[in-house]
Amino acid sequence: MTLTLFLEQLFNGLQAGVTLFLVAAGLTLILGIMDFVFLAHGAQVMIGAYAAAAITAATGNFYIGVALAIPVTFASGYFLEYLIIRHLYQRDHMDQVLATFGLILFFNEAIRIGFGPAALFSNLPPSLSGFVEILPDTPYPTFRLVVIAIGLICALAIHIFVSRTRIGAVVRAGANNPEMTAALGINIKILFRLIFATGACLAGVAGMMLGPLTAVQPGMGEPLLILSLVVIIIGGIGSVRGAFIAAIIVGLVDTLGRIFLPSLLRLFFEQATADGAGPALASMLVYILMAVVLIFRPTGLFPAKV
Amino acid sequence: MAGFITFLFLARTGIRENKVLWLLIAAFALFPIFTHFANLPFWNDVAMRIMLLGIAAMGLNLVLGYGGMVSFGHAAFVGIGAYCVGISQFYGLTNGWLHILFSLGVCGSLGLMIGYLALRTSGIYFIMITLAFAQMLFFFFVSLEQFGGDDGMSIDRAEFAVIDLYEPLRLYFLIWAALAFISLGLMFIIRSRFGVTLRAIKSNESRIEAMGLEPLNFKIISYVISAVICGISGALFASWQEYVSPDIMHWTRSGELMIIIILGGLGTLAGPLLGAIVFLLLEEFLPLMLGEIAPTYAENWMILFGPLLIMVVLFGRGGLMGLTTQYLAREKSHKTEEG
Repeated sequence: MTLTLFLEQLFNGLQAGVTLFLVAAGLTLILGIMDFVFLAHGAQVMIGAYAAAAITAATGNFYIGVALAIPVTFASGYFLEYLIIRHLYQRDHMDQVLATFGLILFFNEAIRIGFGPAALFSNLPPSLSGFVEILPDTPYPTFRLVVIAIGLICALAIHIFVSRTRIGAVVRAGANNPEMTAALGINIKILFRLIFATGACLAGVAGMMLGPLTAVQPGMGEPLLILSLVVIIIGGIGSVRGAFIAAIIVGLVDTLGRIFLPSLLRLFFEQATADGAGPALASMLVYILMAVVLIFRPTGLFPAKV
Repeated sequence: MAGFITFLFLARTGIRENKVLWLLIAAFALFPIFTHFANLPFWNDVAMRIMLLGIAAMGLNLVLGYGGMVSFGHAAFVGIGAYCVGISQFYGLTNGWLHILFSLGVCGSLGLMIGYLALRTSGIYFIMITLAFAQMLFFFFVSLEQFGGDDGMSIDRAEFAVIDLYEPLRLYFLIWAALAFISLGLMFIIRSRFGVTLRAIKSNESRIEAMGLEPLNFKIISYVISAVICGISGALFASWQEYVSPDIMHWTRSGELMIIIILGGLGTLAGPLLGAIVFLLLEEFLPLMLGEIAPTYAENWMILFGPLLIMVVLFGRGGLMGLTTQYLAREKSHKTEEG
């Protein structure tokens, strides 16, 4: 275990963490404010990635692709809320799980029909595909650094928006008590729709950034959805600050666990046992973390509702 | 003797009150005759899958429909049941009864453990923690390389002393017997004092607490029972598919079980079985239908199924059982008007 490897994995974990945060930020407000179990948030990630990949392929310019894909994801969230989601707020969680499960099936098949089942690979423009030396002799991909930077900027923007602006105050009030907020003359329906669309947009941005790092394929958002649910539960439903801290923790635990847990186990157990149990334990680590958090703090680390 | 007569009496009223369920079970018993004469042996296979999914959904329905606990990870118990068979065969244990006993024990104790931890939470948190445990088990089996890991392991049909499962229809009736036995068992559980308390907890938990009962105990016990039933389904599933992979416990499978219950009717005995029939028939016929209209897209039948599911949630309250009960009630009122 060298310092270089450790630093590299630390950055990878950070990058995974901020990407997760972008997905979780919108979802935590949807779960927290609207008390709505939205499983199709992963589909928004996929829509973002496909929109960016398709527009990039059509125009030949990565930046135009991303710039045009952002309004596409915002619109998709807006209309989804208008057409289907708003009819489900009053239903119980079970109905919400099933309806949004239906949405997942629909979006995955629609993408499969439109773009084929095979994965798309999008190439990065030369300005982003190089390496930067973060330490002497420690090159790190530029694009991943850009992802970290964008993620952190988004996190900061969301934080300022939620805690410093008037609309943010309304959002927080909505999270605490929707009825009272509505009684104060806030149009909670429009507020819900805008939060929903913004959440979809953030998830889409996560998809656009993941596109060049992994494969763009149907169902690509689902592992991310499950992980971001874990993030939200650990952070406390409805809390953006909690989601950020939990996302970084989960990103780091997941990435570092996969790399270092097998060698860590080797210190205590025999080689064969460690090699067998290492990967198993590493992929379970995040869920174990969540279970432990829930057992000791049943409402997460930073619950939004008092 | 007196006990036996009470049993018969209870069974009689139980059957009378759950006509749809026992009609379906009788239909499954006669179904092979139909497939034999219609020369459709493939449909026996579909019927077996319906029964297996029906058993698992019935198990989930105990906590979901009757207890009001939205568990989003029950496919894990089905998977554990199947892996119990696979792993005991791997170590040379071929007796089917022992497999089922093993599955019961493992699923029961896992259900107890997960239930004990997860039931401290409620609402969205409960949904998510059950999902988390299921994911944990899913990844656990994905990374168990000696049992096939991601690719899964092949399994021989279990040996049940006198019953050779490789003979035609033996497996069919074994699954059928399990279905009938579990239906009977669930019928008694739901009609018992325990079942009534469980339903009461669903509608008003604090009231049950005020009556001096501990709701958590009832919830945990129902969770364990449902885990065990899913385990049996999984153990038989292993013999049916002769193969098991982590895919069986993927989180979308848990979603499917919930779909089946909602389609059929939440909190009814026949609902899960009815839902399983509809679900698998849709899975068989939607591709055919789509193939007629747009041949290139026959594989993409999910594009119809997804919206259909949303429609059912939005407009079809109570599922198919809700519709049948309404129909039966109308018939009854007609009859009383005439008489």
